[in-house]
Amino acid sequence: MVAYESQHSVNDIQLITRVVAGDAAAERELYETYVDRIYRLAFRLAGDDELARDFTQATFIRAFEKIGSFRGESSLSTWLHSIGMSVTLNGLRKAKRQRNREAPMEEGMTVGSPKVDAEPDLKERMARAIDSLAEKYRMVFVMHDVEGYTHEEISGTLNIPVGTSKSHLFQARSKLRVMLADFAPEWVS
Amino acid sequence: MTEDNFEKFLQKGAQSYNAPPARVPREEMWSAIQAKRAAGPRVVYGGGATYLIRHRFGTKVWLGAAAAAMLLVATGVGIGRWTASPRQPAVANNPLPTQPVVVPVPANAGSEPAQPGSGSAPATDRSLRGGPRALNEPPGTVATNAGQGNATSIGSTNPSSAGSGSAYQLTAVQHLSEAEALLTSFRARSTADQQMDAQLGSWARQLLTNTRLLLDSPVANDPQRRPLLEDLELVLVQIVQLSPGSTPQDRELIEKTLQQDHVMTRLRTAIPAGAQRGS
Repeated sequence: MVAYESQHSVNDIQLITRVVAGDAAAERELYETYVDRIYRLAFRLAGDDELARDFTQATFIRAFEKIGSFRGESSLSTWLHSIGMSVTLNGLRKAKRQRNREAPMEEGMTVGSPKVDAEPDLKERMARAIDSLAEKYRMVFVMHDVEGYTHEEISGTLNIPVGTSKSHLFQARSKLRVMLADFAPEWVS
Repeated sequence: MTEDNFEKFLQKGAQSYNAPPARVPREEMWSAIQAKRAAGPRVVYGGGATYLIRHRFGTKVWLGAAAAAMLLVATGVGIGRWTASPRQPAVANNPLPTQPVVVPVPANAGSEPAQPGSGSAPATDRSLRGGPRALNEPPGTVATNAGQGNATSIGSTNPSSAGSGSAYQLTAVQHLSEAEALLTSFRARSTADQQMDAQLGSWARQLLTNTRLLLDSPVANDPQRRPLLEDLELVLVQIVQLSPGSTPQDRELIEKTLQQDHVMTRLRTAIPAGAQRGS
């Protein structure tokens, strides 16, 4: 693991040096190396392809813009993910404000229409439950339980202590357990 | 055991939460990234990599500034070509002496404050006032101390190296002439005329943009012209900020600035005689 990390760091340094030197191929290489994880995480948090694309693009644009100031205090992956999370969270807050402004108009248009109130299945209930989590819990939950990031990675990306990451995950799971209590037989059995 | 089961249940069930598509649109996003980076201004730093400059201002501001800069340069070049043309009718039809000729005027002509009523026709105000006239002079040469009848060169303009600099100098002269016209109109206007204030504000805003552009141009290298442009900028900002509901005290402040810094006098001194002919 240590050997992998040190090798990885050497590769990162070489890659950054080439990018800073204006090597277009290196930019593409950096992009290809990290784009999948950045996009997937953005999509998981946004739930929308267009938004996920926007956030991913903005992440790399900002990364190329700022890579000259990268000090190597964290790994390139962590640095890139922290930019990605910052872009994504800011974008989501903006989108949420936009939705809130538009919501009253949409509600007005649906007044009187029959409301379908079918019993939601587990998938839908779980999605709603995760959506209802506070932002800090949702992020840690999605990163750890859904995308498989370690607490160390989450700590570096979100700039929080490892203990806080674990605490947030515990809180998220506890709240989900309560919200999904109807489905208890499925995990008790 | 129940806890472990719950975690497994959760992790399995959550895989469908906002599930991303199997294929990541790499090429599309890369193309978009390249397009966005290419669309923005770039700076070169370090080893030569190019990166986007962060947009401090909105696109409209940049477009406006760019349009103003283009207009300014085009005006300068146009004036330069027009005045430099050997087939200029005014020159061809008038047998002028080869040496600059300064027509003296009363010494107080340049410092005299504008009288109400003269502001309605600022362009003719100068010709009526009969300021110093240096005929057939190279761009950038200005007649000063009219009573003494001597002529000095303003700015760094050297007739032998006028070439590219002449456009800047001519643009500056044109700009200063317009500023003088605005300030004359401002001093001459009726204090109760809010519509006039609005028009002057709009006019001042345009001139303010050009003043700032000139301050960043080689024109501002001149040790006399830079302070003048800076003082002019201050006055123009005050006029721009003058709201329709502003008090007479606000106007007095502008008037005081004009008087204390002798802006009008310095403007008139900085404008070469005959510059109005080109406008």
